[in-house]
Amino acid sequence: MIWLEGVSYLRAGSPALQEVTLGVSSGELVVVQGPTGSGKSSLLAVAAGARFPDSGAVWIAEHNIAGLQASSLPFVRRNVGYLPPDPLLIPDETVLENIMLALAVRGAPIESAEADARETLAMVADSAWENRLARSLSTGQQRLVALARALVGPPPLVVVDEPAAGMGGDDREGIVRALVWARDRGCAVLCATSDPGFAQMLVDAGGRRVHLEGGRIAGAPAIGLVPAPVDFSTENQRENADAPPAIPLTVRRSSGEESS
Amino acid sequence: MTVGWILRRARRQSASQRRVLWAAAGSFLVLGLVAGATVLGLRATRGWMSTVGQGVHVIAFLRDEMEPDQVAQLTDLLRRRPGVDRVRLVEPAEALARLRDAARSSPAAGSWLNDLEPGYFPRSIEVALVASVDLPKRAAELSRRLRGLAGVAEVDAMADGVARLGAWVRFGQRLGWAVVLAAGIAALSFLVSTVLRGREARRRQAQVLVILGETAGSIRLPANIALASAGLMGALAALVVLRLAWPALLTAAEGALGIALTPAGISLGPWESVVGLLAAPLLGWVLGYIFTPVPGWVDV
Repeated sequence: MIWLEGVSYLRAGSPALQEVTLGVSSGELVVVQGPTGSGKSSLLAVAAGARFPDSGAVWIAEHNIAGLQASSLPFVRRNVGYLPPDPLLIPDETVLENIMLALAVRGAPIESAEADARETLAMVADSAWENRLARSLSTGQQRLVALARALVGPPPLVVVDEPAAGMGGDDREGIVRALVWARDRGCAVLCATSDPGFAQMLVDAGGRRVHLEGGRIAGAPAIGLVPAPVDFSTENQRENADAPPAIPLTVRRSSGEESS
Repeated sequence: MTVGWILRRARRQSASQRRVLWAAAGSFLVLGLVAGATVLGLRATRGWMSTVGQGVHVIAFLRDEMEPDQVAQLTDLLRRRPGVDRVRLVEPAEALARLRDAARSSPAAGSWLNDLEPGYFPRSIEVALVASVDLPKRAAELSRRLRGLAGVAEVDAMADGVARLGAWVRFGQRLGWAVVLAAGIAALSFLVSTVLRGREARRRQAQVLVILGETAGSIRLPANIALASAGLMGALAALVVLRLAWPALLTAAEGALGIALTPAGISLGPWESVVGLLAAPLLGWVLGYIFTPVPGWVDV
């Protein structure tokens, strides 16, 4: 599903990632564990299409996003459920509307988006929050809502950065359940954490752990299953009801050529 | 994002930024009033000028030896001159008749006028110029040229009164433009500051939507629609206010100045209204576009 090959990334002039190679297949959960400043957030930002790598390739659904024009990135990002370090919600909107927005950009009908958003909110957090304004939530609650927004759909690729930061026991278990749910729906799930306990919970739930230190993958090459090409066409989606929702991925290459 | 979603976003954004949008609509109202009052004010001024400026501005008294065909040529030439409204040849008999008419209303005038013969008066050509602010200047220029002609004995540039009126109108127009400029700048500044007040909220929304994979165009659309709607509301309100208040305001102003000359029903024409109704939403759209910053990257 996603394949990062020799990715390097500079953050404020210093190398945040150095020659990182990492693959996550559909239906796989990978947890990137590392201390603060090890480059986890940079790795996830590059994987989510939020940042271009300085060198290397990032293959998502057969498209190397490092070779795309910036104007094509939105079409990649809408296939990725991304929870950034700052949950980033619209403060003057309700919790439900914030979650629905992820489906809005994918062009889902409003009624079904509302139902899906409710379902995901109930799974990740508390459905009683749905009409609360995002600004009235605590930081931890906002993180859970942002996680629900990343999982709603669910998209083919889920990238979550420190989803359990500052969370208590029940919430952490709920997050693990939600990520496993996404994986079991066929999503490729990439999760970063600096918390060894939470990383262990994910490993216990069937996740694969990768250590990141100083912007490099530590130990064995972080390549799991060989990423098979994923067909996101609508026809394929109808045949396989358990697969992630089909979203036609139209991208524009640097040459200006378009492909779907 | 589909059309349904964009309209939903525009509606929700309008609801969450209700105060900003009402203030923006108010600014558009003031801008519309300023623009509409400027157009109507200019029209009223032109009306005053053309009404007050009607009549004869230059009289050329002709020498007796001037032949009728020369008079006809001169009259024709004057008619063809740009800025000339009317040209009329006044024969001595008509001049005498006018003088007698005028004398009747004056008890001081004696019966000596009865003894006068038409031959006492020279023939004359009366020229009325098209009314405008620079009428006195044009009247003086025409007088100078007429004085240089061989068959013309004397020229009377009757533009003193019009010159005084013109000076007042020019002063009034300059004052009006200064007021219009100040009011326009104030309304525009208020509008921009109002739109800027919602900028941070729109930037935050844009950042969220960038993460979710929305394109820059679709991110800006709800704000564009909301501000264009505010522009339309303001323009409509301005049209209604001008329609209702302008005739009364104009009548009061003319009454105060003692120059009740403008037809009472003066108002904006259909095309002017259409231009206003299109320009205000367009301005709102442009402001929404400019003041909705869309980051290219996600800050992590």
